[in-house]
Amino acid sequence: MDIAVLVKQTVDMDQIKLNDENEPIMDNLPLKMDILSKNAVEAAVQLKEKYGGKVTGIIFGTERSTSTMKEAYAMGVDEGTVIKGYKKSDPMVTAGVIAEELRKAKYDIIILGDQSSDSYSGLMAGLIASELEINVITNAINIEIKDNTADITVESENEDVTVETDLPAVVSVAQEINEPRLPKVMQIMMAGKKNINIVDGNPKYEDDTKIISDKAPDSQRKKIIYEDGKGIDEIAKILKVVK
Amino acid sequence: MKALVFSDEPKNAREIITYLRGKMDIDAVSQEDKELVEYGADTVYFYRDGFVDNLSKFLADHIVKNKYDLVFISSTNLGRELAGLLSFKLKMKCMPEIFYLENKGKNITKRFFHGGKTVVEEESNLRMFTVSPGICDAEKADKKSEVRNVSLEKSIYKIINVKSKETAGTDIRNAKVIVSIGRGLGSQENIEKVMPLVETLHAEISGSRPVCLDYKWLSEDKQVGLSGKKVRPDFYIALGISGQIQHIAGIRGSKTIIAINKDKSAPIFEECDYGIVGDLFTVVPELVEKLKK
Repeated sequence: MDIAVLVKQTVDMDQIKLNDENEPIMDNLPLKMDILSKNAVEAAVQLKEKYGGKVTGIIFGTERSTSTMKEAYAMGVDEGTVIKGYKKSDPMVTAGVIAEELRKAKYDIIILGDQSSDSYSGLMAGLIASELEINVITNAINIEIKDNTADITVESENEDVTVETDLPAVVSVAQEINEPRLPKVMQIMMAGKKNINIVDGNPKYEDDTKIISDKAPDSQRKKIIYEDGKGIDEIAKILKVVK
Repeated sequence: MKALVFSDEPKNAREIITYLRGKMDIDAVSQEDKELVEYGADTVYFYRDGFVDNLSKFLADHIVKNKYDLVFISSTNLGRELAGLLSFKLKMKCMPEIFYLENKGKNITKRFFHGGKTVVEEESNLRMFTVSPGICDAEKADKKSEVRNVSLEKSIYKIINVKSKETAGTDIRNAKVIVSIGRGLGSQENIEKVMPLVETLHAEISGSRPVCLDYKWLSEDKQVGLSGKKVRPDFYIALGISGQIQHIAGIRGSKTIIAINKDKSAPIFEECDYGIVGDLFTVVPELVEKLKK
């Protein structure tokens, strides 16, 4: 079966520092594969191992995204395309660009992470399904392929629901679906030599959304900190009201 | 101004209606919920057996027919699927995950970015939004809504199995007092040692992402954070939680935050009202004793 996996590259958010105005300093941050993209790659590779076929990775990013594609290769992705031209977070534009790439081949299943760890928007699966006019199921924790259908188990609050859908379909995965593999040195070396298809994207950013501010929220907390065994009386007093 | 609110979780619909009330006229589409009619919407539409296909079809027609100015979709799995589908169908770009809205001709919205590290405030003409759960506390209104039942088309998706999960206790989003545990607790067995505090305060227990997802000391519905539940208790007591930004983003609505952690440099001490630097296994029993007096 032909499997596509959509991979997102993000900056390492743990390394974002703030300037004096509490604004994030975004220069020279290291890039990495987004957490849930790793689960998506793992899910795609596991499907290939179980049912046979080929996994194609797609990244909408910049020249710098090839490092993340190599990581995907090392995990078992067979071939990959990096679409250049990414400028900013805009789910609808990103979906349009990726859908255009997906239309070039016929995929049985398109896998991606459910929500990315920067904005948690979680719109991509629905947007792409809408562009391609195929089915969509999000937050999957298990995928079983039948002939032309898939049984997909979706996690919700109080129950796990297994739904049957026709293929092709867009399926986003939750972190619980698997434990992403750590590639061996040999696989990393091999991945480095593999060809990456690089194409120019054609994103149409026509948004009139204006960013008024982007900064860490001021903490209004009292920050009264006790040390050396002190503070228990004070905190007990504060908590007495709930008793 | 006329708005449509959609949520497959009635609790979220109640919050969004409360938040928007007085600023615009509101209709809501939700799964059936007796209480929902008491929150001040003009009309509530109840559906059954909704999937992404039959609901998106219904909502697209309904939004066009009723000429809603603004559409608010609660951010759940289904809500996000629908927002994605409807964006293209209706050519309405969606502003995701908002927790603040002000209408001054244009819409001023706020959402978390960079994994919760920052809040981005934006001005736009966008008309569709996904709304982060917990935007406010739901409060009933004087007015009762008109109720209409909607019959959806048959879905092309088929449910083939439903497995209920064991979930203990109540929804932590409704809790007044929460005792929350982090990696600093050391092991699942040690939960027993903090239970006297939970019981004395009639609190609910919750946990950080590693505790609920990686170590599974608590079930997943107890996870607090940007990717888990956003809570708004009167008191949030963090035990052995370092306070990664992802977690802090889930507790910002708490009235008072108390932290106990042996690491003085833990980021939680930058985001708490009261903190004790110390071993939680010594501090918690002493605290319980004082509270019992």
